Amino acid sequence: MHTGYDPFLRSLAPPPLLPTWNKRRPAEVVQQRVADIPGMVALPVRALMPALPEPIWSPDAAFGPTDVEVIRQRTRDIVRTMDWSKIQRGKRVNLIANPHGFFLCGEAYVAMLEEIAAHVRATTGASVRLRIAESMGHIENPDWMRIFDLRGRFGDAEECPQIGKGTRVETRLGDFWVTQKLFHADHFIHTHVTEMREGYLHRMLDRLYKPFGMGYTRLETRSAYHFGFGPRTGQLVARAVFGSDFIQERYTGTVVLNTTSEGIVGVDGDNDLETLDKRLATEILRNYGTLIRLLAEIDECVTVFDGHGCAIYTYGGGIAFDNLLCANVDFLDLDNLALLAAFSPPEDMARSGLLMGGNPAIKAIVINYMAGGVPEQFLWDQYPTLVVGEPVYRWLITDPSNTYLAERATVIPDLATALDRARELTGTDKVIAFDRTPGALRVSESMGHHLLARAPAVAADVEQHRLPKWLAQRHLA
Amino acid sequence: MPKVVRMVADIVTAKCTGCNLCVNVCPTVALGLRARRPDEPGPSKKVAVLDAAACYNAQNCLEICPEDAIVMRDLDPPFSVGFDHTTVDRAAIERLCAMTGFSPNLAVCVCTRTTVAEIAGAILAGADTPEKVALATGARTGCTELCLQPILILLAAAGHGDKPRNPPRGFQWYGIGGTLYQHARLDGTFPEDLVADFPSYPLDRELLDLARLRRS
Repeated sequence: MHTGYDPFLRSLAPPPLLPTWNKRRPAEVVQQRVADIPGMVALPVRALMPALPEPIWSPDAAFGPTDVEVIRQRTRDIVRTMDWSKIQRGKRVNLIANPHGFFLCGEAYVAMLEEIAAHVRATTGASVRLRIAESMGHIENPDWMRIFDLRGRFGDAEECPQIGKGTRVETRLGDFWVTQKLFHADHFIHTHVTEMREGYLHRMLDRLYKPFGMGYTRLETRSAYHFGFGPRTGQLVARAVFGSDFIQERYTGTVVLNTTSEGIVGVDGDNDLETLDKRLATEILRNYGTLIRLLAEIDECVTVFDGHGCAIYTYGGGIAFDNLLCANVDFLDLDNLALLAAFSPPEDMARSGLLMGGNPAIKAIVINYMAGGVPEQFLWDQYPTLVVGEPVYRWLITDPSNTYLAERATVIPDLATALDRARELTGTDKVIAFDRTPGALRVSESMGHHLLARAPAVAADVEQHRLPKWLAQRHLA
Repeated sequence: MPKVVRMVADIVTAKCTGCNLCVNVCPTVALGLRARRPDEPGPSKKVAVLDAAACYNAQNCLEICPEDAIVMRDLDPPFSVGFDHTTVDRAAIERLCAMTGFSPNLAVCVCTRTTVAEIAGAILAGADTPEKVALATGARTGCTELCLQPILILLAAAGHGDKPRNPPRGFQWYGIGGTLYQHARLDGTFPEDLVADFPSYPLDRELLDLARLRRS
């Protein structure tokens, strides 16, 4: 039945490809974006989740205001309510940022950081330096330092890689090591953005603490997080490090951009991280839960990577591909143990569980562009993979983490041919692309209609059954 | 699973300040310092020097260098690195793995698909430090993030937990981080005070549920 209602945004463009830290210019290499392919449309997340709160700022005018002044004002409002008396005149304060903030919220994140720094400088007389926690190597990130002129705007600004010098921290669980440069100061301020990346790891337990077990730490600690804990307890590392004397002596407060797929819905902050985490956790589950579960309704698809990040950390509609990869198991349900298999060899499992890259709905992968820096061998092993063009292929097989791709990928000269080949190979015309478009999923029309048809039932299931359970499991109800 | 090394580092001596950072982070200790020659203009008396055969394209040096004094260039021809664990007594590998609780089949270096059995085999064949493990297997030369803890645990189990860092003030690795398992009692439960400290986490069920999952 044709109703005349067309929910698709047919002219919505993805964000441009940016220069990368390792001096690559993908915009000069990538000849065509997936959004340019006939039949690909942008499906607004709001068409799937009509009750989403309205954004106060969006990276794209199609979804909300783009003026960051509202973010500045909201940040000023929240930091004025926080207690900064721990910071004495003349002391050094590290304002800790993370690449995901720049990635998802761009200029709005920078504006928030600027307002925090200005307030703390003005009210305490301390010096405030920007320190950016680099995770999983620089390779996956655009060159945020130059793109946002962070040295020019903050003066003392520095990226702090996980391979840098460490500081041992004694915790309730044992010793861990944090990145020295991030905490080489009298005090620090923690910042974050709410979003659902690596949900299969943090399980939405102490979400805002996660950098203390991952992004702010050295290699040993990150490895311990992955290999030293169970499927629901990796976040204990974050909680233990945050609770250490070393961190508590320096910690002052946290400021967070509260996001949805469309952009930012609020700026929140608190000196008490636990209070803040509990305040925001309910909203994260409510604002992202339906979309995550809707991905489980995809029965077959070709997945296209067409943006920054590396495979599982490429984004579309405000969420990362890892949510699709793990969508065949409800990883927000803490009764679910299948995620054990994420780092267990399948032959050791008496009962098969969720494997990394184990969503059988994914039938093939097309890489139009993605950065490297993160190992994705489990994808190349399990899904037919087509790479568009020699330059991108060359970048990927020389990536320290993905040389193995050379044995698995087929190089196709252009994107349209690659998509045709993938459709032939898989027998499906359902396509979903991760091209960093906010507020909308980049899909083929067939996929768009499929998701639209399934969304009401998924929303009802989440609202009536899953969300209450998720909240109760986390003592948030 | 072997890693194919397709790039090698090049030192831009005119920019190098001899700060030693690259030396401190190379997982295969492929970098050192040497005196700057009179025909090499530059800001320092010392410059970095590379042992190209030991460069496995980890790019830690590229990442840490504050002066853009390291570039990567294509290697022609590429070469492969990896360890064939079938050359080592299987029973010995399994004994070492059993001491750590890690399955021999577990891929600890996801970048190179290096398994615990390969790491254990390399250790039994004489790799007694993390850098020697990296040189023998290729592990730790990708993202360098995931694999370190199991490697340190396997080395310690083999009696090599006391090896000094190389270089001594380098920071390729520090030590073994805390684990949940070290706190578990024999029956899979945890001390009450630990459970009380982390009330949001299902500590009372975590290991028991895992055991049930494995048995079912």
